Amino acid sequence: MKITMNAFSFARNRLKELGIPCVNVEREIDEGMSAQDLIDSLGLEEKYVEAVFVNGTVLPKNTVLHEGDRVALLPPGTPGSYRLILGIKKAGETS
Amino acid sequence: MSDKIYRVNMKDLSYKIEEVPEEWMGLGGRGLTSTIVAAEVDPECHPLGPNNKMVFAPGLLSGTIAANSGRNSLGAKSPLTGGIKESNVGGTSAGIFAKLGVKALIIEDIPEDDSTFYHLHVTKEHVTIEACPELVGKENFEVLDAMLERYDKKVAVMTIGTPGEQRMLISNISVKDPKGKLRSHGRGGMGAVMGSKKIKVITVDAEKYKETHLADPEKFKAANKIFTKALQDNPISGEGLPAFGTNVLVNIINEAGGLPSLNFRSGNSENAEEICGEHMAENIKERGGSTTHGCHAGCVIQCSQTYNDEEGNYLASGFEYEMIWAFGANFGINDLDLIAKIDNLMDDIGVDAIETGVTFGVAAEGGLLEFGDGETVYKILSEDVPNGTPVGRIIGSGAGNVGKLYGLVRVPVVKNQSIPAYEPRAIKGQGITYATTPMGADHTAGYAVATNILNSGGYIDPLKKEGQVALSRNLQIASAAIDSTGMCIFVAFPALDDPACLPALIDMINARFGINLTADDVTSLGARILKTEHEFNLKAGLTAADDRIPEFMKYEALPPHNAIWDFTNEEIDAFWDF
Repeated sequence: MKITMNAFSFARNRLKELGIPCVNVEREIDEGMSAQDLIDSLGLEEKYVEAVFVNGTVLPKNTVLHEGDRVALLPPGTPGSYRLILGIKKAGETS
Repeated sequence: MSDKIYRVNMKDLSYKIEEVPEEWMGLGGRGLTSTIVAAEVDPECHPLGPNNKMVFAPGLLSGTIAANSGRNSLGAKSPLTGGIKESNVGGTSAGIFAKLGVKALIIEDIPEDDSTFYHLHVTKEHVTIEACPELVGKENFEVLDAMLERYDKKVAVMTIGTPGEQRMLISNISVKDPKGKLRSHGRGGMGAVMGSKKIKVITVDAEKYKETHLADPEKFKAANKIFTKALQDNPISGEGLPAFGTNVLVNIINEAGGLPSLNFRSGNSENAEEICGEHMAENIKERGGSTTHGCHAGCVIQCSQTYNDEEGNYLASGFEYEMIWAFGANFGINDLDLIAKIDNLMDDIGVDAIETGVTFGVAAEGGLLEFGDGETVYKILSEDVPNGTPVGRIIGSGAGNVGKLYGLVRVPVVKNQSIPAYEPRAIKGQGITYATTPMGADHTAGYAVATNILNSGGYIDPLKKEGQVALSRNLQIASAAIDSTGMCIFVAFPALDDPACLPALIDMINARFGINLTADDVTSLGARILKTEHEFNLKAGLTAADDRIPEFMKYEALPPHNAIWDFTNEEIDAFWDF
């Protein structure tokens, strides 16, 4: 199935180093894969992702993805209270 | 020698140096400015008339070696909001005031002869007040150069450009930073208040100051070590901000559907990739700028940066998320370099990035110019605003007034102050802060994270109402307390992960003054400050009806989440139940 993938800040830099396009790119993944499975399949190390956006909502990394989902990988380092009020800290802890 | 209150009267151009009243002893920064404004300023006074006062106060820890303690607060009644204002800034003024022993500088009244502007120079023993006709009509960088030529290069400088001279509501007060660039007391039209008092520039002597006195130097040093380590070890303050600056937020807030775009019509911007922090960091790397720059001495976070053009020439520093959002997403300029050029121009003339950017968005909605037309923005800011043409005056009046002039409904202001870079419909906790803070729409009013917030636990869904009022209240109380310490509000970020961070901060305050504050005392201080500010606003004529998000947000669904603002008045007003 197809998803649209994005990666931010340190995760973007790391994927670029690995030669993996990661700015609003379509990507084919297996049915039933979670965001964590996607991260593993990219070879992206654990420290580069605190939580993920799925269709504009911050969710834990164990969230199962679906056809057409828009996924963004979010590293640690979100400033302000936004890490809290967007639910990033909580999602990071439950991944 | 103990700290003093320096009091200047602009009517008779005199000054007094007074003992600090007992009840002000334990206060600094925002806690002190709001207390003095509430005690001494008639809430019903005209903010640009003789009865308003300006109160500058360094934080409790300013002037010490404490990391990130260089924020200076300015309080007054705001001509933009009609309520109380505290606007704090980095730069060098807080440290120098504190080392000189200035607990607060209070400026009263206005000169009888309004034909010229004045220069105030503060030293340990005196305040010199002299006419400075040669500086009238000059912008900030030229004033800064003139002061650096006259005084030691470390002198603190606080200045207004021509918009401040003309008492425009978008005007701010610019403050020299350690690299000779400018930071701002940005919000609330504070430049207009300084202009109304006919003060062009304030300088503070940096040659004869002493080190701040510490009651327990060893305890202070130990606590600062823990505190600095907490800041440096944290992935936000230690890595994310130094690498990408606050502009790392463009992609994150855009992805959350909360990046206000084209005058708050959408929560997504087509320009996000062009203006994002990742793109900015790439440009800086290629062009030889710097991703790190501290706005004040002792900053270990270094969230600011130096941004150059393609030829490697300096364009801007302190190039922040809110500025880039205002002109990139909300006004629609898709060229980061042009936004940087506008940023530097705005530093020079001294106008608030958020108020000015949102005003241009509203003006575009009204048809004064096209969305995305950065060249016209540059022309208006470099010609019309400084010369006070009718177009310059329109833009200079702020978003709320432009909305009224053009008969618009989609006017994103609370208490007449522009809503910043986080959409209240999609990030509802932020919306509660905009609605309730006594400052008018201000994201920094609810920025600091404290331990009690973590203990309250729970998953907060930004699109839902549950838990948001309590969260905003806790964030605002913590922010008011942090704003009193002289600390940058970013110091609270590590508190989310590191339980040693905030206790170390309190230990430093205790070691500085030889007192025994607890975490509860600090929370009480934050709550007391908020209440004091709220009471001032009520006496000034603001009511619960001013604690509201603009009505259009209740019925215009915001893409992509199609979110609306759905809090009842009762739910919002419950904020003040503490």
